[in-house]
Amino acid sequence: MIRTIIQISLLRLWHNKAELLLTFIVPILFFSIFAWIFGSRGSGGSTPKLKVVACDEIDSPVTQRTLALLQNTKSLRFHLGEQSNSDFVKPVSRESAEALVRRGMVTAAIVFRSKPSEDSDTTSSKDLNAHIPNTSESGGSKSPAIEVFADSFDQVASQVIVAFVQKASMAAQAEHAQEEAVKLQAARQAASQQVQGAQSVAIPGINDPTVRAIALSSQPTLSLEAGNLATIAVPTIEVIDVLGTNKSNPIVAMYAAGIAVMFLLFSATTASGAILEERENSTLERLLCSRMTMDHLLMGKWCYLVIIGCLQTTLMFSAGAIFFGLNLLGHLEGFAVMTLVTSGAAASFALMMAAMCKTRTQLGWVSTILILSMSALGGSMVPRYLMSESIQRVGQFTFNAWALDGYNKIFWRELPVKELTLELGVLVTCAFVFMVVARVFATRWDRG
Amino acid sequence: MKTIFTRKDAPLPRQDSAPSQLASLTRESSRSSIEQPEFALELRDVHRTFGKTHALRGINLTVDSGQKLALLGPNGAGKTTLVRAICGRLRIDQGEIKLFGQPVTNPSTLTRLGVVPQDLAIYSDLTTKENLRAFGRLHGLSGRTLTERVEWALEWIGLEDRKDHLTKSFSGGMKRRVNIACGVLHRPQVLVLDEPTVGVDPQSRHRIFEMLDELSAHGTTIILTTHHLDEAQSRCDRIVIIDDGQVIADGGIAELIEHTIGCERQVRLRIEGFLTASIPNLEWDPTLELFVAEINEPAEELPQLLHRIRVCGGSVIDLEMHQPNLHDVFIYLTGRELRE
Repeated sequence: MIRTIIQISLLRLWHNKAELLLTFIVPILFFSIFAWIFGSRGSGGSTPKLKVVACDEIDSPVTQRTLALLQNTKSLRFHLGEQSNSDFVKPVSRESAEALVRRGMVTAAIVFRSKPSEDSDTTSSKDLNAHIPNTSESGGSKSPAIEVFADSFDQVASQVIVAFVQKASMAAQAEHAQEEAVKLQAARQAASQQVQGAQSVAIPGINDPTVRAIALSSQPTLSLEAGNLATIAVPTIEVIDVLGTNKSNPIVAMYAAGIAVMFLLFSATTASGAILEERENSTLERLLCSRMTMDHLLMGKWCYLVIIGCLQTTLMFSAGAIFFGLNLLGHLEGFAVMTLVTSGAAASFALMMAAMCKTRTQLGWVSTILILSMSALGGSMVPRYLMSESIQRVGQFTFNAWALDGYNKIFWRELPVKELTLELGVLVTCAFVFMVVARVFATRWDRG
Repeated sequence: MKTIFTRKDAPLPRQDSAPSQLASLTRESSRSSIEQPEFALELRDVHRTFGKTHALRGINLTVDSGQKLALLGPNGAGKTTLVRAICGRLRIDQGEIKLFGQPVTNPSTLTRLGVVPQDLAIYSDLTTKENLRAFGRLHGLSGRTLTERVEWALEWIGLEDRKDHLTKSFSGGMKRRVNIACGVLHRPQVLVLDEPTVGVDPQSRHRIFEMLDELSAHGTTIILTTHHLDEAQSRCDRIVIIDDGQVIADGGIAELIEHTIGCERQVRLRIEGFLTASIPNLEWDPTLELFVAEINEPAEELPQLLHRIRVCGGSVIDLEMHQPNLHDVFIYLTGRELRE
């Protein structure tokens, strides 16, 4: 009996290709996708480069050397400045640097501060979580005071950048000190020659050659060592979180959008499956026998999906506001625009998927694979800054990435709606293209 | 009414169909010369192919207002294609389909047409009333009219007490009734039903046909496809049989029988003993494994037949009188059972 049940079940599985795919192929597919995203294969092992911008208010040989060393660091990519058309790092002003971080153009700004003082602005906006304490004020240090304007959206980047800056600064100081030492050595040699000449004439009292040798060698050496100790010091680096400081719960702002967009896609696709059900039980035939046309039907479905999508996203963000202190009321305008456009694009995507599939089962597994892949690549599951550059570029082709960028601009960067032009443009275009594709595929349900 | 009888791979009809075709054509042409005929439904030389398959091969059909027409044919004969074409859901390659003189694809014409698909094309997760209101709105009803029509439909299908129940909880027969009601809310002048009684019990079938009779009594033209030949015979006043994409028979049941297998009753006899001589009109049917004889006047001819058998040494142990019906006509014309 048990054997018969197993046989029947195996035969049923063999005949049900969708179940067969879900059981054996889809797990491998997903494993491959995630391995591709987070593993080194397919990306050539390229680690993500951190975009930074420099502001050098000191403009000293040490700071210039530090910048040059940082530019040679493989993991950093310098923003070249608006007027620069070469690889040469053109430092920008402090305000521009901060603005670039706020707009998300760069991950961090490295500022060589001209006044290493208790600047009320910087001290007040220190983010305790991200702050690296001043490591030294080693007596009489000449090391530059450095600020890192960080975007805590990328929670790892600021710490990495601080480490690089520290290393580069110390190396620059050492190189500078070495140069100074060489100069001193040259000066010492010149001085010793002069002293030797003068002593042989003017210090006749020291005739003992041993005593003379000590007198000649000891003074310059001592001054060189003192010079070295005074020059190389661990730099003072302050990390200033320019975006996350005023947010009661900065992490929620990031993840609410990611999860909302992923579930928006899932719910829209599930709901759009109703059209396949209607086709299967001839309700679609009956609907199209009435005054209704296929255009009416698709538009009706689209409007419904948009309404549901807006409600779903609003509920999600409202829960974030109530339970996690997300500042929804402060960004209502941007939220409304982004939610409407994102829901519209999700609805179009869902209808396109439904129109392309033959059965609801097929829609179920195809959309699951596609949405999970898009969510993984687009940053709904894991922040995109953790992915390699090549994967981040691939992510730009996903629906999620643009929606998340839009929400991040509103809730994280607190940018006005006009700054969303690119994201809104892409999403509106997606919505339109998806709808056109859906309409083209739906012609098979139209008059035969 | 035009009467057509054709049979490609079966013996020729017992009576020549040409005079009857000629008569019907004459009747039609004389009618058109007097007045512009406005048939409820008119199909002229309708062709449709799917790849190399000719689903419809020049269908000609006219249906008068108020008629109840049964569309029969074996599987793959082209019934569903024809029904879809009539409903405007299928583009035809050639010919024309008109509803009250207007092309069926005309949106304004579609409001005069009601469609009841074979599947239960209702929303099972809506209540009866919600379904009716939804389909009423789709057919352009609103406000008070919609409310009145929904109330009427609930009464008509006998589900007033279940109006707020989800239709997924209903029996097959009840769902069928809701399915039909959704197609007639807007009071269509022509109602097309694809297998309206498939999969329901005899009581529900009876109830459904009562509902259709009621509509027909109010002048609605009804075109239905069915696999229940007895229903078609007893409930419809016109039968159209199609096979291989063509109309092969069209007429009333009496006409069909008369022009195909004839009106003679068949007497089937089980005889014991050996017949010493052949009896005129009595033949052995190897399929039935019975003796059969065809008679026109049972009261006169049957006693004579029984007497002759007795005289020839036979003893009748069982006797069955078979009256020609639509099933016989169907088998005669198509050479197949309906479900083959």
